[in-house]
Amino acid sequence: MAVEEKTIEETKWQLFWNGFKPYVLALLIAFAISGAIIGLLGYNIPKAYQTLLFTSFTSRRGFIETLKKFIPLTFATYAFAIPFRIRFFNIGGWGQMLFGGAMTAIVGIALSGFNLPAVIFIPTLLIVAMIAGALFAVIAGFLKAYYNINPIISTIMLNFIAFYFVNFIATNEPWKAPLSGHPMTLRLPEAAILPKLFGQIHLGIVVVGIAIFAIYFLMNRTVLGYEIKATGLNPDASSVYGIKMKRTLMITFLIAGAMGGLGGGIEVMGVHSRLIEGFALTSGAQYGIFGILTALICQGNPLGVPISALFISILLVGADAMQRTLQVPVELVFLTQAIIVLLIVILRRKAGGSFIE
Amino acid sequence: MGQLTETISQIISYTTIYALASLGIVIGGRTGVFNISGEGIMLAAASAGFIAAYQTGSWFMGFVVGALMGGLFGLILIYIHESLKISQFILGITLVILGTGLSDLLYKTIVGVQLFAPEAPRVPEITIPGISNIPIVSAIFNQDVMVYFTYIAVIIAYYIFYHTRIGLETRAIGEDPLASDVVGINVTLRRYVTTIIGGMFMGLAGAYLPLVVTGTYTTNISNGRGFMAIGIAIFASWRPERAYLGAFIFAAIEVISFQQQLGSSVLPYQFLLMLPFISVLVIMWLFRKRVEFPASLGKAYSRE
Repeated sequence: MAVEEKTIEETKWQLFWNGFKPYVLALLIAFAISGAIIGLLGYNIPKAYQTLLFTSFTSRRGFIETLKKFIPLTFATYAFAIPFRIRFFNIGGWGQMLFGGAMTAIVGIALSGFNLPAVIFIPTLLIVAMIAGALFAVIAGFLKAYYNINPIISTIMLNFIAFYFVNFIATNEPWKAPLSGHPMTLRLPEAAILPKLFGQIHLGIVVVGIAIFAIYFLMNRTVLGYEIKATGLNPDASSVYGIKMKRTLMITFLIAGAMGGLGGGIEVMGVHSRLIEGFALTSGAQYGIFGILTALICQGNPLGVPISALFISILLVGADAMQRTLQVPVELVFLTQAIIVLLIVILRRKAGGSFIE
Repeated sequence: MGQLTETISQIISYTTIYALASLGIVIGGRTGVFNISGEGIMLAAASAGFIAAYQTGSWFMGFVVGALMGGLFGLILIYIHESLKISQFILGITLVILGTGLSDLLYKTIVGVQLFAPEAPRVPEITIPGISNIPIVSAIFNQDVMVYFTYIAVIIAYYIFYHTRIGLETRAIGEDPLASDVVGINVTLRRYVTTIIGGMFMGLAGAYLPLVVTGTYTTNISNGRGFMAIGIAIFASWRPERAYLGAFIFAAIEVISFQQQLGSSVLPYQFLLMLPFISVLVIMWLFRKRVEFPASLGKAYSRE
């Protein structure tokens, strides 16, 4: 008896370790590669690592910066992760953020004369951001469902369309801010700006918390979530059992877009207080790109999203600090993350995991 | 040169970017490998190609290094895909990000920030005596070396795919890899070769940007053209000659909307700049019924 129990314990531990091993190995190898590059370029390796990994924990500023990146990154990650569950690729998280942010600014400025109280104004704008992002994303879902146009291409094209749309809003009457060199709109009314909770951390952190819970609930406790999961596992069988593929496809893009749009709206309302060109960028790249990497790290698992997003936020804050203090180009972390993702996909595949083929 | 001739001349130069990139996608796609990482390849090749040309003073070296960079990306994609059957799309997206990061990292560490933008050595132009003075026709033949290279590459690709046995076999792999395998064609080898050659074409497209179009390297120099090339390949139903036609259409839209932007017209210029991207969607929608895919496109092939 005792021996058997021990083996069960061991197998549990084995299973746990098997699940984690690809991640641990991927991180170790990726950091070894980037360490070699840092060394080759003539920088101080231990110091670079210390900055990269621990900036978020060693200073108050680093901690706040990490949370500030965590908020939009989590939304951008959901934007990719949810259609990914049914094997579709939404590369348009960035465009959905931009469009959500732009519509938030447009409606916010339009409503500025009504003196709405914050309790009404803020939720209204958050809903506007979600609807705008969802409608923008569902264009791609619709084109796939009814005209078989690949969402990879349509969402990328929509990104560029959203980019020029933001530029248009930020440089034209009646939205643009007078006398500013950089394209930006007028400031949102005070009641539309997300209140600061601690330091520079705004109400958006609470919205993220609600979103994480809502997505978890949706994916694990509802029929819709079950249908999405079933479709992802076996699209042919699901359609046999009456799950409508077109409907599921459009719904995942709606949810993804709502998340992206919300991320953009929160950046506009919480960080910049206005629409400003280049608002959904961080560490020299789009949140959309980092969202894809983050989602690929956790294989689109809704529970993994916040953990993975926190990890990438820590790396991004570290990379910014590394560039500031050691002049190591921030693109290095970009490369490191791509290598991490590549290794995780490879190692998980070797371990027999991963539903993606 | 008249205004019209000059516009056409510029369109043909831009066509070269799109044609090389989409030809790369077409060649790989013919064996069933859908390489969507063109944007990343173009960025990495633009950076590496520019650095090579700038350091050696030879435009030719720039294109060689650009093609090698593209071939390397193709090799990474096909090696991981063939050995582990990991989704080509996931690998493609990751390679886009890898290439984006690599491009600026290479440039910043090797060339660095300079007071004046460093200039690439000039790519020689070939003029054909007698034609250079005829309007419009001269726009087609008064061009740099790579434009001629692209004309020839499209013709050769068309000839190989549709008039040789090796081309027929290669197309057959894209339709049904199992059947090809049964009759003794080395499917894996062909997939390696087409993906690497395809990557090299995308690399040439990337190197063309700093060496000919802008004359210097800038961040995000390809600005989505690598993605638009995917749209062109789909529009072209994976046929080389139609890829050139598609490339010409998109180049014309890009050049004309840029000129209109400078001339300031009815539409705000942002909407003109959106046009190339909107037209990808519209053209794919218009031609949706006439588009054909190689049947095994994007799918992994394993024997068991």
